[in-house]
Amino acid sequence: MTVMVLSGNSAQAHAVRLARVQVVSAYPITPQTSIVEKIADLVATGALKAEYVQVESEHSALQVVVSASGMGARTYTATSSHGLLLMHELVHWASGARDPIVMGVVNRAVGPPWNIGADHTDSMSQRDTGWIQFYAESNQEVIDTVLMAFRLAEHPDVRLPVMVMEDAFYLSHTLEPVDVPDQAVVDGFLPPREAHATLHPGTSARLGSFTGPDRYVDFRFEVAKAMERVPATLRLVEEEYKKATGRSHGGAVPTYRVDDADAVLITMGTSTTTARTVVDDLRAQGKKVGLAKLRLFRPFPNEEIRALGAMVDRIGVADRSYTFGPMGAAGTEVSAALYPSSHHPAVTGFYAGIGGRDVTPHVVRRMYESLLSGAVPEVHWEDIEEEVSVDG
Amino acid sequence: MAKLTLPAQELMFSGHSACPGCGAALAMRLLLKGLGPRTVVSVPACCWTVIATPYPTTALGVAMMDNPIEATGASISGIRAALDAMGEKDVTVVGFAGDGGTADIGIQALSGMLERRTNALYVMYDNEAYMNTGVQRSGETPLGAWTTTTPVEGHEHGKIEAKKDMMAIVLAHHPVYAATLNPSFPEDFERKVEKAKAMSGPRFFDIFAPCSTGWRFDAQKTIAIGRLATDTGVFPLYEVENGRYHVTRKVGSLKPVEEYLHAQGRFRHLTPANIAAVGAQVRDGWEKLLTFESESLVAPTPSAAPTAPPATRA
Amino acid sequence: MIEIRFHGRGGQGAVLASEMLSQAAFIDGKVPQSFPFFGVERRGAPVTAFFRVDDHLIQIRTSITQPDIVVVLDPGLLKVIPVADGLRPGGLMLVNSRRPPAEIEAPPGARRATVDASRIALAHGLGSKTMPVVNTVILGALARASGVVSLEAISAAIEKYAPAKPAQNRDAAIEGYGAVRTIDPTTSPVPPVPKVPHPLPPLPEGPIASRPTTSIHTSSWRTLTPVIHLAHCTKCNFCWKFCPDDAIGFDDQGFPVIKLDYCKGCGICAEECPPKTIEMISED
Ligand SMILES: Cc1ncc(C[n+]2csc(CCOP(=O)(O)OP(=O)(O)O)c2C)c(N)n1
Ligand code: SF4
Ligand code: SF4
Ligand SMILES: [Mg+2]
Repeated sequence: MTVMVLSGNSAQAHAVRLARVQVVSAYPITPQTSIVEKIADLVATGALKAEYVQVESEHSALQVVVSASGMGARTYTATSSHGLLLMHELVHWASGARDPIVMGVVNRAVGPPWNIGADHTDSMSQRDTGWIQFYAESNQEVIDTVLMAFRLAEHPDVRLPVMVMEDAFYLSHTLEPVDVPDQAVVDGFLPPREAHATLHPGTSARLGSFTGPDRYVDFRFEVAKAMERVPATLRLVEEEYKKATGRSHGGAVPTYRVDDADAVLITMGTSTTTARTVVDDLRAQGKKVGLAKLRLFRPFPNEEIRALGAMVDRIGVADRSYTFGPMGAAGTEVSAALYPSSHHPAVTGFYAGIGGRDVTPHVVRRMYESLLSGAVPEVHWEDIEEEVSVDG
Repeated sequence: MAKLTLPAQELMFSGHSACPGCGAALAMRLLLKGLGPRTVVSVPACCWTVIATPYPTTALGVAMMDNPIEATGASISGIRAALDAMGEKDVTVVGFAGDGGTADIGIQALSGMLERRTNALYVMYDNEAYMNTGVQRSGETPLGAWTTTTPVEGHEHGKIEAKKDMMAIVLAHHPVYAATLNPSFPEDFERKVEKAKAMSGPRFFDIFAPCSTGWRFDAQKTIAIGRLATDTGVFPLYEVENGRYHVTRKVGSLKPVEEYLHAQGRFRHLTPANIAAVGAQVRDGWEKLLTFESESLVAPTPSAAPTAPPATRA
Repeated sequence: MIEIRFHGRGGQGAVLASEMLSQAAFIDGKVPQSFPFFGVERRGAPVTAFFRVDDHLIQIRTSITQPDIVVVLDPGLLKVIPVADGLRPGGLMLVNSRRPPAEIEAPPGARRATVDASRIALAHGLGSKTMPVVNTVILGALARASGVVSLEAISAAIEKYAPAKPAQNRDAAIEGYGAVRTIDPTTSPVPPVPKVPHPLPPLPEGPIASRPTTSIHTSSWRTLTPVIHLAHCTKCNFCWKFCPDDAIGFDDQGFPVIKLDYCKGCGICAEECPPKTIEMISED
């Protein structure tokens, strides 16, 4: 184990090196570009022995790894924002073909207007494509999650692609110390891919196919069942990762000081770190607040959210994207997950950090105070100053 | 038995679901005869998606990967990259796409694949329209042809634009080999397949694929129409290797283009003036081709001769 | 409500028949509904289309599994598809066939009707010998045998909506109306056993398809069958080279043999045979 000062993007690239990825496809887009640049260096110096395919678009970038994965190779690509949106057709394809691809996604706003700031609209718009989705909070979590993602994706019970998200700039370009596991440790944790249902030259077989209404649903059902097996498989993978490296990141929904909380805020990605500090401050003032992080968004961690909902009366959900539903994407999902429970906490949706706005301690404190006051509308735009009413 | 002039192996199975007399089915059959079992074929959305039959059956005796309509070029780059990474040698990687999936929506991925010098053979089987969706115009639909989106009704008289010259577009990328093939000339077809198979680097085939359904002729005429296409100069047979053109079927004097046009319902509405315009275009193309051939014998055409062909890549 | 299921082949116009029937029913003042079972059928492959008619707006949107009437545009389909599946007691089965209705196999209690639609269509210049376009003849016959629409409405609908040759199609329908033969059931109807949709077994092979299509027989696609008169065969192999279905093999002496399970009857082998020793014959 070596501690290196790395950006989130370098952390992705080092994870790719350690995972001994065999095929990487690359197309630039800010703020993802430095991932594929770093991988190009790793390949050039021989640190990573991979086919590095330079494509003419993100659509082709994903197709290259879809086809390479269909042949049995371990594959990786990375993108952001408009690149991810251009990939959309192939994003569905990858899960339907059961390709265990891992893709780094740097969450960035979608234009117009053009904006390269952090925003989850890009990956949220892909939430129903059959990919497993992780949102990382730190560069340590990035490197560990990418490594775990390969194990999870390739696990015989799963065989689905995984996106590992990092917030634009707050992680992608932020340098911080990262424990980089040794190659031998990773080799022990992540053996070479055991190809299942892939094509082999010299055999008569078709991957993809077409069906009628009589058969199609069976394919969807298989994907659904595989998704349902993700939580249990993730627990297993995390345990093994902990055995190998001593680290784990607390499952699908790690919580912080929620045990006796009157109000809990649910966050995703980097705003979690700031929120944790605010929780400590508020606790010091005697306010009973807690925090939960949606680390896994797909499959949605219903069980964990229901367990949390059974403990508290007020939940706020901070979304870093606007999705035109009753609340933000995470807010809506949390509400839906809680609906069948007997205990119904009040749920408030917050929009915070849209398009790269800072989610400051001030903003987080305001969200907590809204929750504690009980006088909050169903949804609230925290980034819009005019609407600040609680502490002005 | 008389000696077979084509390889005996059959890697396209009977029982597929192409229309009776389908030129695209014959194209696949002849192609795989020459390429052999260690072939991986990537097929986008097109008639061949359906011809290959629904899950769990497959019509190919080789590995087949489906891919979205516009991504064949990228798909074969991915397949080659995986094979290289896994140390699989002696595999021919083929993209087998329709004209719409190649010349229109897939031209970007094709260009990318050629430019990055993927070691693969890209085949455009050219039935000159979007057939799987029921005969709509593509960039490869020829001048004057009826399709459902270039109707012959009111003041419309079929397609008013000329066919896109895919060979020229491909040649601008300096492939190691590019050729036109026609199943009506199976020995010429097979010679080109075997030649391409022995090479490495980006290769391209434009295969003529008459479609009785979309072109409106009786199924038994598939071969005859293909023959007419070449002998009237509508679809000349040639190959380009390292910048050198070679016309592989020399037609002393071209047959009148009417013979080809009158054989198909899609051209039934053409007036003598329309036919004269098509004829002029065909003759012009043919003469240019002969010029390219004679000039490239002296010096390979500049557009087709990269100074130092880069190494083949995935 | 009356429900009709059409069985035909891609290219014969089964879907168009159900559409024109809708227009005709509307002309008659009724409320129609028609829709194809949308597969991805190539020309020659079996296709299905559905038609409902009632006095008021139809309040169901599903495939038809228990039709009152089954219409079969191609006699060859009787051998390969359970066309009469779910036919209601006392229902009607109308088949394009030159045979008398008594020779048509139908569920007990069904009325049977036949019309030699292929012959009539060709006589009116509709379609080709390999693929006669029989849909309008069948509509005429259906009008007479079932009474669901009037001949006037059928004629008017064809004149307006036939994509080509409206007059010939109308005349063909009128001839079909006159030529259809019907017999009433000789046995009493047996209520059909409702078909319970049974789930298919789980995916046996993951997303990989690996059974060769040689398990699929396409013989029913053909309307004409090639016969090789070996006396003149020179063993040139042209037929083998050009067959798009790989439906020609060789016998011990090197003579070509048609694989009848797969031949789709395209006629290429006959057309390309240099000594013209392959003949396309009708099997019906
Ligand atoms: C993105 C996308 N747009 C449209 C389609 C619909 N589509 C399926 S096949 C096809 C026609 C393809 O035509 P061509 O490539 O010429 O092949 P052909 O069917 O003629 O053999 C189209 C448009 C699709 N599958 N995907
Ligand atoms: S529509 Fe044309 S290309 Fe498609 S299967 Fe039929 S004959 Fe072949
Ligand atoms: S008619 Fe001849 S060429 Fe056509 S499918 Fe049958 S055997 Fe093959
Ligand atoms: Mg086409």
